[in-house]
Amino acid sequence: MRRVIYSAKFRSRQIWWALRQIFGDAAYENYLRSIRRNEILGAKITAPLSRDEFYLDSLQRRYSKINRCC
Amino acid sequence: MKIFRVLVWAAVALAGAAGLSAIAFERGEPLNATWFVIAAACTYLVAYRFYSAFISAKVLALDATRATPAERLDDGRDYVPTNKWVLLGHHFAAIAGPGPLVGPTLAAQFGYLPGTLWLIIGAVLGGCVQDFVILFCSMRRDGKSLGQMAREEVSRRGGFIAQIAVLAIMIILLAVVGLVVVNALKASPWGMFTLAMTIPIAMLMGLYLRYWRPGRVLEASAIGVSLVLLDVVAGQWVAGAPSWARIFSLSAPALAVGLIIYGFAASALPVWLLLAPRDYLSAFIKAGAVFALAGGILLVRPIVQMPALSRFADGTGPVFAGKIFPFCFITIACGAVSGFHALVSSGTTPKMIMRETHARLVGYGAMLMESFVGVMAMVAACALQPGVYFAMNSPPAIVGGTVESAAQTISGWGYSLAPQTMTDLAHMVGEQTLLNRTGGAPSLAVGMAQIFSHTIGGPHLMALWYHFAIMFEALFILTVLDAGTRVGRFMVQDMLGHISKPLGRTGSYGGILFSSALITGAWGYFLYQGVLDPLGGINSLWPLFGIANQLLAAVALVVATTILLKMGKRKYLWVTLGPAVALVTVTMTASYEKIFSADPRLGFLSAANQMAARIASGVVPSEKVAEIGRQVFNQRLDAAVTAALALMVLVLVVEALFEWVRIWNIAMPPVLHEAPYVKTQWAEGD
Repeated sequence: MRRVIYSAKFRSRQIWWALRQIFGDAAYENYLRSIRRNEILGAKITAPLSRDEFYLDSLQRRYSKINRCC
Repeated sequence: MKIFRVLVWAAVALAGAAGLSAIAFERGEPLNATWFVIAAACTYLVAYRFYSAFISAKVLALDATRATPAERLDDGRDYVPTNKWVLLGHHFAAIAGPGPLVGPTLAAQFGYLPGTLWLIIGAVLGGCVQDFVILFCSMRRDGKSLGQMAREEVSRRGGFIAQIAVLAIMIILLAVVGLVVVNALKASPWGMFTLAMTIPIAMLMGLYLRYWRPGRVLEASAIGVSLVLLDVVAGQWVAGAPSWARIFSLSAPALAVGLIIYGFAASALPVWLLLAPRDYLSAFIKAGAVFALAGGILLVRPIVQMPALSRFADGTGPVFAGKIFPFCFITIACGAVSGFHALVSSGTTPKMIMRETHARLVGYGAMLMESFVGVMAMVAACALQPGVYFAMNSPPAIVGGTVESAAQTISGWGYSLAPQTMTDLAHMVGEQTLLNRTGGAPSLAVGMAQIFSHTIGGPHLMALWYHFAIMFEALFILTVLDAGTRVGRFMVQDMLGHISKPLGRTGSYGGILFSSALITGAWGYFLYQGVLDPLGGINSLWPLFGIANQLLAAVALVVATTILLKMGKRKYLWVTLGPAVALVTVTMTASYEKIFSADPRLGFLSAANQMAARIASGVVPSEKVAEIGRQVFNQRLDAAVTAALALMVLVLVVEALFEWVRIWNIAMPPVLHEAPYVKTQWAEGD
């Protein structure tokens, strides 16, 4: 029984992770992770955007080029 | 183990062949939709397992050790390494618009067979190949666009042509999808209220995401989807209250003007307020509706009522004029081959691929999924009684404006239809009439509602399901409309920037308003012309859109062939050259027929000449002369647009031919504009 509960928890966590990735909820965390990774690799350090700034910036980028088909 | 695998794949291939035979060889027995699912799914599995693997290994030689742009240029904003399944979801959401739903529904006038075969075979050999190869080419060039690749690999003129073609297709696309919405919502207070309410709901989501919980898309979408579902139910109460129903019953011209104003506002307003939240809302509803339709078809297993080949294979169809060749192949673009996909495949997706080998799943796999959506739409449309299908999709100029005249005309074609059937059906779905609702969306909605109501709720919920389906299609289309208008605005501003610097500034209000007015005016003009067209507008605008879209696909495949040639893959050129030749042949034939056919229902020029002759002979009443005169101008304009598009693509093809001959004849290796090889720093394995 414990195994079943553990497996169900694991699967739901996976589904939640995938949903957050697909629908863009995790975009800000991914961005911060990318900044940290680049810092470790010795790239030029720039101050990260705040969550608000990042959200607006990502919308501007996404909707200024073709991102949807017919 | 190997023998087991061989046996499994042999069984899948045999099942696919059995499915295709069942739908291809009609025996006059009722055909169950399960055969469509088996034929499509098994063909896709075999194509993905073998053909895409062949393209990956031999043609493109995908290299898992080569760092992708997402790894080398990772900035967390544009270049973001993304899990392959997540990217598959992103890419599928980006390529699957209303096209794979509307196109197959319209092509059902030929019967179920031509469209279904084109959806399956066209996708496997053409559409998936185009998406996959262009994705690969862009990925090897740090995510360059199709226009940039055409300029670098074919010629400077090629790049310019691709840019102009993109703007032209955008304008026609926005007009035609706008027309589909207008025809679905005219004189429908329930549908109109439901769609109108999505605007404040999207704005509420926008405020939530901007000020209260920035970037929490799932929370905002959950709120938005709940409100939209409530909104569909509330629409019934609005339609039932005469004073409210009057407010939301709009004529087609009034709806068209409303859409044009909406497009302008969505383009000029801040993106976070309306466009982005509507896109999130649409993505959720889209995913839900597509899965529900797939589940519904599998559970209900409807009987396909449309014949394999209808009498309209001869080109006299009431939905749109023209024979199966070439018109079936341009009517179904998205779902089989769509040039627009090449823009998405050379846009965001190549910048997010984690490993080169993932391009196969994302590029080829996502297109297979879209093709499956197209097959489901075909099933939903063909599950309708043929008489009902033709009554809904034929304009009043052909079947008349009353159920009696429509029933008489359609029964005369051999598809029995009682007037009461249309009246009862309209009553059942909560509409005043379902007659002359051209554009495909309402007939698809009735098909979906029948399938859904067989699963949940029975006939009592038919009206609710119909309006849910209409809301889903309209929401979907409005997302394309506002996102497309905004992108079009950027393209116009980019061009205007060469003439006047202030007009080109994307942050200046003057520039934003002027360019928004230009792009909205352009598609709005074609939309309004479609609304006033006595043949329903779809007859002229959808083929124009199909031609533009497939010409863009031909451009993409020509660019891909040039790149393969430069990569030294002479032996495998047929992979892209075959579909390119097929598409150039189809689109050039369709363009020629649409311009020069002597049949006034088919040829733009003969229609214009016929109307001009009627004016000249004095048979047109004086109050109608100006209106008919405008139609003459519109037909000639459509002919000019078709000719310009075809000519541009011919120029590109000729330029590419010269480039191919040059590469073929010289001993020196041609210049390939790929980013240099860098070994991946990531661990091996997927």
